[in-house]
Amino acid sequence: MTLTYLPRLLCIGLATLFLVHLGLGMVVSAIAGPAVRLGERIRPNLAARYLLALRMLPAAGSALIVLTVCLPSYLWLEPEAPTERVGFGCLAAALLGVAMWSVSLARGLGVVAGSRRFLRNCQRAGRPGRAGAWIVDGAAPLLALGGIVRPRLVISRGVLAALSPEQLEAALRHERAHWTSRDNLKRLCILLTPGILPFADCSRTVERGWRRFAEWAADDRAVAGSARRSLDLAAALVRVARMNSDAAQFLPVLPLLGDADQLAARVDRLLRAAPLGSPAPGPRPFVALSAALLTAGALAAAILQPAALYSVHVALEHLLG
Amino acid sequence: MMQDALGHLELRVMEILWAHGESSVHDVVGRLGRPLAYTTVMTTLDRLFKKDLLMRRKWERAFRYEPRWTRQEWERKRAGDFVAGFMASREASGDLLISSLVDAVGKYDTALLDDLEKKIRARRRELGRRGKT
Repeated sequence: MTLTYLPRLLCIGLATLFLVHLGLGMVVSAIAGPAVRLGERIRPNLAARYLLALRMLPAAGSALIVLTVCLPSYLWLEPEAPTERVGFGCLAAALLGVAMWSVSLARGLGVVAGSRRFLRNCQRAGRPGRAGAWIVDGAAPLLALGGIVRPRLVISRGVLAALSPEQLEAALRHERAHWTSRDNLKRLCILLTPGILPFADCSRTVERGWRRFAEWAADDRAVAGSARRSLDLAAALVRVARMNSDAAQFLPVLPLLGDADQLAARVDRLLRAAPLGSPAPGPRPFVALSAALLTAGALAAAILQPAALYSVHVALEHLLG
Repeated sequence: MMQDALGHLELRVMEILWAHGESSVHDVVGRLGRPLAYTTVMTTLDRLFKKDLLMRRKWERAFRYEPRWTRQEWERKRAGDFVAGFMASREASGDLLISSLVDAVGKYDTALLDDLEKKIRARRRELGRRGKT
């Protein structure tokens, strides 16, 4: 197929996006298992951060490479020939790139719509409580934080009745910790970006690991080193899990099996002899941002050398086929 | 599947039946505390029977109704339906942007939960002893 200058740029950009994503995805999927195991040996908030970075690496890395390497190389070195032939391989890779991003964007937007609907229903069914929480009637085991921009806490009367004031306070601190670390926003980023390997369901290990460490990090932040608060949070977890089990008996559909290992691991962590400390403060956002910008700048300076750009252009010409 | 949304009159009728047990239409009309046509109450009882909330048996050319579930069981079923709706919406969209205290809505092994509660009690006692010394 022959294409003009700009459609050719679009085609080659999308094809590179797909192929680099595939390559990075293969690397990430090879190290996913050991990376999750390594996470158990470091602080949960750090483990959650690096697993999130690992999950986002193929999508973010491929987008970065296209924007910083392929586009400059093409714009600089490609002669403005009116038309040029584009091979079938390049076209197929570009279409797969479009499909990969369309599927994940549609999934992410569907989840946003579903979540808004769920929260709206809770709002309709419930009454406003203190501190912007919504109290929902019934014995459903519901204690959750929703929303990306404005947090919305939803609690059922059943949970309010079942937990002691101390347990409720610990549970609310846990949800607040999720809000502080913007876990719902991170979840949205995960949903909006394609998986580690395009069209393959192999992101689960990393996503499950991220969820687990995000929960542990929220637990640590909620108890903030207090042994008594650890006990209250552990008791609240078991109480709500028991309510889940009671409610699951009456489900008209086959209930999920609660993740007993995860629950036991969380409770065991909270019961450890030494009180869990609050997580050590991580690098401040502006320090992390400056470091990232410096690294990106140094990489761009190295890559944007004429020789490097020329090599990239030769590779792109091969891809155009 | 049981309907969880009950109208005002339906709820009042259910409350009478939960309080007094098996009753005829005539009994319910008498206990309502406000004048309502016999046929209105009969229709309401029939609707509740069709919603699977009541059982009925014929007794001397008339039906006698009694609740299929205790009030507590009914509350639990409502909770189950609510959770089912929550789960259904999660299945429909793949996930929800919600952080829940306990992630999976599902059945846990009772023995495991008992064991965890025992551990929590033991640790609380241990902390209490340490606090005293």
